[in-house]
Amino acid sequence: MSAMNTPIEALQIRRREAIASHPRRAVRICCTGCRALGALEVHAAFEAELAAAGLTRDVALIKTGCQGVCAGAPVIGIDPEGILYLGARPEDVPEIVRTTLLGGNVVERLCFRGADGPLPKRSAIPFFAAQNQIVLDRCGRIDPTRIESALAAGAYAMLEQALTTMDPEAVIRAITASGLRGRGGAGFPTGRKWGFARAAAGDVKYLVCNADEGDPGAFMDRAVIEGDPHAVLEGMLIAAYAIGARHGYVYVRAEYPIAIEHLHIAITQAREWGLLGGNILGLGMDFDVAIKAGAGAFVCGEETALLASIEGKRGQPRPRPPFPAQSGLWGKPTNINNVETLANVPAILRMGAERYAGMGTPTSKGTKIFALAGKVAHTGLVEAPMGVTLRELVYGIGGGVRKGRAFKAAQMGGPSGGCVPARYLDLPIDYESVKEVGAIMGSGGLIILDENTCMVDIARYFMDFCAKESCGKCAPCRIGTTRMLEILQRICAGEGQPQDVDKLEALAYQVKKNSLCGLGQTAANPVLSTLRHFREEYMEHIALKQCRASVCSGLMESPCSHACPAGVDVPDYLTLAAEDRYAEALAVVQMRNPLASVCGRVCDHPCEHRCRRGDMDEPLGIRDIKRFVTDTVAAPWRPPEPWSERETQRRVAVIGAGPAGLSCAYFLRFFGHRVTIFESLPEPGGMLRVGIPAYRLPVERLKLDIDFILSTGVELKLNAPVENLDALFDAGYEAVFLGVGAHESAPLKGIDTAAPGVLDGVRFLRDVTFGKVSGPLGRTAVIGGGNVAIDAARSALRLGAEVTVVYRRTRAEMPAYPEEIEAAEHEGIALVFLAQPTGVVDDHGRVTALRCVRMEPGAADASGRRQPVARTDSAFQIPCDTVISAVGQKVAARDAWGLRLTPHGTYETDPAALATSRDRVFAGGDCVRGPSSVVQAIGDGQRAAGSIDKLFGGTGKLPDNLKLSRSRYAAQSEEPATRPRPPLAALAGRTASFDEVVATLGDGAARCEARRCLRCDLEKTCQ
Amino acid sequence: MSISECTDKPLDLSPVAAMVADRAPFSEGDVIDALQDMQTRYGYLPRAAMDEMARLSGVPVARLYGVATFYSQFHLQPHGRHAVRVCRGTACHVRGAAGILSAISRHLGIEDGDTTPDMQFSIESVACLGTCFLAPVMLVDDQYYGNLTSDKAVATLKRIQARDGAPNAAAQPAAQKGSAPCPP
Repeated sequence: MSAMNTPIEALQIRRREAIASHPRRAVRICCTGCRALGALEVHAAFEAELAAAGLTRDVALIKTGCQGVCAGAPVIGIDPEGILYLGARPEDVPEIVRTTLLGGNVVERLCFRGADGPLPKRSAIPFFAAQNQIVLDRCGRIDPTRIESALAAGAYAMLEQALTTMDPEAVIRAITASGLRGRGGAGFPTGRKWGFARAAAGDVKYLVCNADEGDPGAFMDRAVIEGDPHAVLEGMLIAAYAIGARHGYVYVRAEYPIAIEHLHIAITQAREWGLLGGNILGLGMDFDVAIKAGAGAFVCGEETALLASIEGKRGQPRPRPPFPAQSGLWGKPTNINNVETLANVPAILRMGAERYAGMGTPTSKGTKIFALAGKVAHTGLVEAPMGVTLRELVYGIGGGVRKGRAFKAAQMGGPSGGCVPARYLDLPIDYESVKEVGAIMGSGGLIILDENTCMVDIARYFMDFCAKESCGKCAPCRIGTTRMLEILQRICAGEGQPQDVDKLEALAYQVKKNSLCGLGQTAANPVLSTLRHFREEYMEHIALKQCRASVCSGLMESPCSHACPAGVDVPDYLTLAAEDRYAEALAVVQMRNPLASVCGRVCDHPCEHRCRRGDMDEPLGIRDIKRFVTDTVAAPWRPPEPWSERETQRRVAVIGAGPAGLSCAYFLRFFGHRVTIFESLPEPGGMLRVGIPAYRLPVERLKLDIDFILSTGVELKLNAPVENLDALFDAGYEAVFLGVGAHESAPLKGIDTAAPGVLDGVRFLRDVTFGKVSGPLGRTAVIGGGNVAIDAARSALRLGAEVTVVYRRTRAEMPAYPEEIEAAEHEGIALVFLAQPTGVVDDHGRVTALRCVRMEPGAADASGRRQPVARTDSAFQIPCDTVISAVGQKVAARDAWGLRLTPHGTYETDPAALATSRDRVFAGGDCVRGPSSVVQAIGDGQRAAGSIDKLFGGTGKLPDNLKLSRSRYAAQSEEPATRPRPPLAALAGRTASFDEVVATLGDGAARCEARRCLRCDLEKTCQ
Repeated sequence: MSISECTDKPLDLSPVAAMVADRAPFSEGDVIDALQDMQTRYGYLPRAAMDEMARLSGVPVARLYGVATFYSQFHLQPHGRHAVRVCRGTACHVRGAAGILSAISRHLGIEDGDTTPDMQFSIESVACLGTCFLAPVMLVDDQYYGNLTSDKAVATLKRIQARDGAPNAAAQPAAQKGSAPCPP
């Protein structure tokens, strides 16, 4: 530095030198967050490889901070091309150097996987395309341990500008005009806060940077300090100038060693360069910064507790006022800002307050950094303008929910926040809107929760956290959080009491109202928000002892068995299958589910959705193994032993020989009661017989299961409709179970299924079963997206039709099973999405076309699904000869039975006992739930059988699960493996007949597959 | 009484003087820093060293203990040579941290917060390591391990045990998991 230059000129010269000395080519490796997945090893490999290739001088190898797309760790950026490589290992480095740095080509396998193939350019990746990085601008570009790197990228330029061109009031005015609000969570306007501190009397003032990022699930402050510590220091300097502080502290969590290290280096270097200390830049300002490492106490994120901790005391909060701006550290005026807030300051001055305020919503300006984690495909650090929607964050930037599961909620704001459910996916996020729906912006932690997350467990988790972290000073928080935790633990353990929910809610409001500091005042939020949006889950835990996400271990042995409405002991039969003990495996299934062959083929397998193996590679093929077992064990099957132990002579009438009725009858026989099934159709099976086409469920397989059930001593009367329940009671039946299904089609406006050429989907399938479909169908348009629509379409195809399915939403929203949709498409059925039929065009009683309008996704409904709305002037026609309407089913409720109905027209029952409004009459399956699944109906039949047994003075308790096998195949259990797909019949012949399409797994494949089971049940039973 | 206090070797208290002198004039504001130094030096906060710091600094020993027992970072008992920190943050929680913790706990035969009898490992669950994108995560000493499964976590500990040459793994019957049938 020449003695002739002023400090500012010297800084400018050094900045220019830093820019000039930088090679154009650069390899940037995230060496902070990505360290956990081997970034330092990759860096070392680059060092060696670049040296070997003689490129050390031409290529800058830069250790950066977080580059955002953390799911792809370690992340490598290559410039000037703007290429991004994800997940590289040291052994990939020679290829990167050879192919990309020397050869100018891309290593495709290391690129981000887009929907249409690899995306080598950072700018093309959707994760980045939707972002607006202002605060994170330098993070991931510069080397945070070299101040030259930051200076070359513009660090401290705004400090220089503020000190030379603005007075402190002008700085405060600019920050106020920008609309910046505290990013730590509460959202207090930063400019006003600075104004208070500036106005406070006293010549000693302190500036504190709160980097005690304690919210579990937030890591943006860590990333900013690690990746661009100079942005924070520059923000602190400008703030100190504005309020007149000479001393600053950064209070950092002890759990962030890299952040402390980088901050320490940055402070030392800034001092060396005259940017901290006395007479900064020769302009007369004095300011220095010290680091205070926290010692592990969440409450220290609260400002008064934080100040106590800096003073070396126990980090306990105190009442406000006085506010820190009047009396803070050692009684002096103190201004406290969060890391992200301070890092915004230079950015605001750089772009101008007005432009900054142009981003965001009316009340919340600028951008917000979100830490995207949990069950989202692309976890990472995201900076987007305020007002961004959850849908954009989760589905746009985040790439959707992992494993294609359903989005359930986003946890925002950590232990002080709440869960935002799917219906608010389109809500523009700002401080106010998030608060309105029961959460808080907080520090911006965004944990995505999927269908496999239990909301009661989430509330329990946060309450456990708050109870542990409560500092103990005030009673409402200390005792209230503990009492709430006890209630939540009880509910999760299956010991919840009916009054617990009200008690919990009352306590929550007490704690919220009466606690001393922010920790206690917000500790109840996770409880209140889950109660507000997911109250039914609490009720299920308490009344039904059910955890729909299969998480609460106190309620279950294994997630799969718990998810099965029939409660089949899945791990036991899988392991028996793995040991070639097929007859025993079948017996285990039949202890809970008498329709084993049926469920081996057409079950919607909720067990597989909850399988923990699915988090590692793929869920077990539970249904396929069940089918393999039923196809392997020779019939006829004998009833399990406990079925012949009792006879009570009490008589029960079951109406309907569908899955619910058959199951109920089977379990009533276990209890020893005499059962008669009344079926109005000429054959038993209900929808299994007349709704599911034979190519999915061959009649002879269904018959095997029904024969098995009848062999337990059930009487079956066919062609026997029941008009009057009183007659049954008069005839000596002491209880009745209704399993009459939902055999009527729901109507669709504009489509008259009584007109010629227009068919009703459910009736069509029934007619196909009994061979009653006459005449050629010709070109057939099937309306609907559920299983009935696809079944009707594939059946029509087999009858020689040329088929188009018309659905009003998108493919991803079709309720039909994905494998069925795929098979339909494969067989040559055309699918038309986002089209709503409005009428049929006919020519003298002959259908010629289906009239439709184009739809587009509109606002989200309560489940988060976007309601389709018609596009203007989008009418079109699909030429056809036949129309089949299959848009839903409903119950043909009989008024004569005198039972109360729900608003949906189904029979009203209490969910625990399945009792209807009439004494001794129970109901289950589709006639209670509306169109649902086979296994749900089987579970209902089972539950009702227990209720009827209790009515007769029995225990209602089912036989114990057998627990025949306790092996775990550890040798291969956690090796990544894909599940085998059962073979399919050749396409050529299959659409000409109703022969079964899907074949059974091979012997070896089934055994291998069964061995992938992790035996979650043993975790519990063997401890 | 802790293990080290039962041993016959007296604790070397000379480093405590520097912890106080380096901060002269020692004030209450230095307590947390000084205790952090003490823990780095001894691995925990020994009773004798606390007394010595109180004597040299003039800060009452009750005040030192008040701070030491408030913050979760401080230990009053000796800890193992390797600190196994299992993250229980929200992201880790929803991605199975409880399973990781129980697998580690079973493997080492100790509960969360305890130290193995051979002083090789301590298990501490922590509120959040701030590495949510790698969930579930654990930190062994200063090395992060992300995207864990129970087997991966246990394998990591086994590697460390093998490197240290400790027979711990074989000696723990609880560590045996696998094809051997589990007793009913």
